Amino acid sequence: MAAFGSFALLLALALAAYNLLAGAVALRLIATGQPTVVSPERLAATARRAGIASFYAVTAAAFALVWSVFANDFSLAYIVEHSNRALPDWYKFSALWSGQEGSLLLWAWLLAAYGFVLRLTHKRDVKLYAYAGVILAGIQFFFLLLLCFPASPFALIRGAIPQDGNGLNPLLQYPEMVIHPPLLYLGFVGFSVPFAFALGALMMRYPGEKWIKITRVWTMVTWLFLTCGVFLGMHWAYAVLGWGGYWGWDPVEVASLMPWLTGTAFLHSVMMQEKKGMMKSWNIWLIFSTFLLTLLGTMLTRGGLVSSVHAFAESPIGYWFMAFMVIVLAVCIFTYILQFDHLKNERQVESVISRESAFLFNNLVLIAACLVILWGALYPILSQFVEGAKVTVDAAWYNHVAVPIGLFLLFLAGVGPLLPWRSTSLKSIRRNFVLPCLALWFTALACLALGIQPWHNGGFDEGRFYALIAFALAAGVVTAILSEFVRGASIIARQTGRNCFASTYLLIRRNTRRYGGYIVHLGVVVVVIGFAGSAFNRSAESEMALHDRLLIGPYELENVGATQDSTPNYDTEYAQLDVYENGAKRFQMTPEKRVYLASGQSQTMVAIHSVPVWDLYVVYEGTNPATGQPIIKAFLNPLVSWIWAGVLLMALGTLVALQRSEVREQRAGPAAIEEVKS
Amino acid sequence: MTESLGLVGGALLALALVAYTFWPEKFFAAQRSKSRLDYLLERQQQLDENLRDLNFEFSAGKYPPEDFAAQKAPLENESAKLLAEIELLQKAQG
Repeated sequence: MAAFGSFALLLALALAAYNLLAGAVALRLIATGQPTVVSPERLAATARRAGIASFYAVTAAAFALVWSVFANDFSLAYIVEHSNRALPDWYKFSALWSGQEGSLLLWAWLLAAYGFVLRLTHKRDVKLYAYAGVILAGIQFFFLLLLCFPASPFALIRGAIPQDGNGLNPLLQYPEMVIHPPLLYLGFVGFSVPFAFALGALMMRYPGEKWIKITRVWTMVTWLFLTCGVFLGMHWAYAVLGWGGYWGWDPVEVASLMPWLTGTAFLHSVMMQEKKGMMKSWNIWLIFSTFLLTLLGTMLTRGGLVSSVHAFAESPIGYWFMAFMVIVLAVCIFTYILQFDHLKNERQVESVISRESAFLFNNLVLIAACLVILWGALYPILSQFVEGAKVTVDAAWYNHVAVPIGLFLLFLAGVGPLLPWRSTSLKSIRRNFVLPCLALWFTALACLALGIQPWHNGGFDEGRFYALIAFALAAGVVTAILSEFVRGASIIARQTGRNCFASTYLLIRRNTRRYGGYIVHLGVVVVVIGFAGSAFNRSAESEMALHDRLLIGPYELENVGATQDSTPNYDTEYAQLDVYENGAKRFQMTPEKRVYLASGQSQTMVAIHSVPVWDLYVVYEGTNPATGQPIIKAFLNPLVSWIWAGVLLMALGTLVALQRSEVREQRAGPAAIEEVKS
Repeated sequence: MTESLGLVGGALLALALVAYTFWPEKFFAAQRSKSRLDYLLERQQQLDENLRDLNFEFSAGKYPPEDFAAQKAPLENESAKLLAEIELLQKAQG
């Protein structure tokens, strides 16, 4: 299979190269109208088919690697490093993306799959899709080049073939790891598509803004994947790493957050271009930056420039990424300068208090957040370059800067929908802002009365202060969004005589994009409430003899014993803890510690009891070698489940926004498509 | 799978994909350039959408009448100009 896989990758590379070159030549000939022997349309059609064929070839290569994992083919270095015979089947499948070469292959395959769908649907706008297809072929060519030369997943092992492999990294042997990386990659890779459309539209001087409508679904689907990928990663970190938190500002986390921030900014500001013909240059650079940030993130973490707890494979491919980024940036700048006059805005922002301004602020804040995070990510590299010593930025620094920015974004999420386009009168502000402001202040006072105060233990507590602001803002934003639903639904109820539920349903169907967006905003509010809960986290740690008790919040944990188990893949030790609440036994928790046989590495498996108010999170840290007694660490993390519920709401909102509205959407009709005889 | 079998498989795959790429098609899609009229019709569609949104928000009691009138007037003016040009171009096209 190694020979077949390598050959399939070389074939895919050749097909991508043909797609790139023949497609570019064809588009040039069509643009200049030069007479040629072969019709340029015919040449473009073969280029498109080469792109489709490239997908089949990459699929064959991915199949070859998965086959090799399942066949325990230890003649391949990649299989030796990332699998072993006793590895369960579902983790064997995830070995495909557990290492550098495999994840690059997954990247290339997903890109080919996106390109495949794009090329099959090209009749929607033949010319724009041809440009986008060629640009995607260029990106695909780069990844296939990596896979064929410096990072081949089919490289053979030197020397004798071992009987068994080293096994999958224990951190990755967790069910979510089977879906988290593909989702994250679907998001990362997916931004190549709106990038390709935007660059293509700019190259061909696409008249009007219809290309935005055409690419909207691509951008939203990509954003949804990236959102789910980022939050699944958080959940994985929470459930596996055993430190009680879900976000540690690790470089890999930061790398996934940066394109999410710029992608979110793009999703908002592109509406301004579509509706008002504004912010054209800004949008182009937002999507360019988003794509470049996906490359930068990969270069930072996978290229070994910064270290991370989950940069599972590092190699010198960082320099390849750097070169590719320089090329992409040069192409973007060149095209932008060449077509600058095409990006003239049709109108300007007229008032600071308008929906346009809210969008603009939202964008500026998202970009500020991205730049701050980028600074933190690059600081170790810059400090090493300037001072000769690598200085890393800790989570406290990120929190100190990012939390106020996040709260300001939350504020804008509530204010934006209430403002009209162009300008706002005082009367309009009074009409729309009274209720949300009342909700905000009422919640703030209620929180203070309930003891959520910024002063704690005789001093100012920054975390509690921000939590108080977050709860108050959340109430204001929820009121603002719900008032939008209530207002809209009441008109429909008046017009149709239906009840409030049916009217709300009709309202959402009428404008899925807007109300889907509001549902996403509600999801964000719920997530922020979950984040705010971290200001009240508690923890306790104890070495526990049999029947010793550990008190945390309303719970009392009693050690009732320990047990051991063995599987072909790992040996494990469980601590058995009975959990009491108000003096009554409620349930048992069994945190464990595993030792994986193939790699000899140990891994804690956290036990989590989740209720809406908080999570009881228990870690078995092993036994004290001196006393032989288990060491138990327990955390009481308030409102964590709100984060996961909020993400589900965000996903639901995006799915709603992806549906076609009943009254508004007319399918983007491109200039007439003709069937031309070859 | 032996190396030679893998290579045979690879060669067959290559043959199939090259044939797929270069197989002469009877027809292929082409697209005429977007005309000014196409662009204006698109723009008109967007303006109609903006006006519909504005009317709906006004009915929902979001804006006082004077704000509504101030926002509606420029949209209607732009729409009127577009419609006039569209009509002119459609007449010219016969």
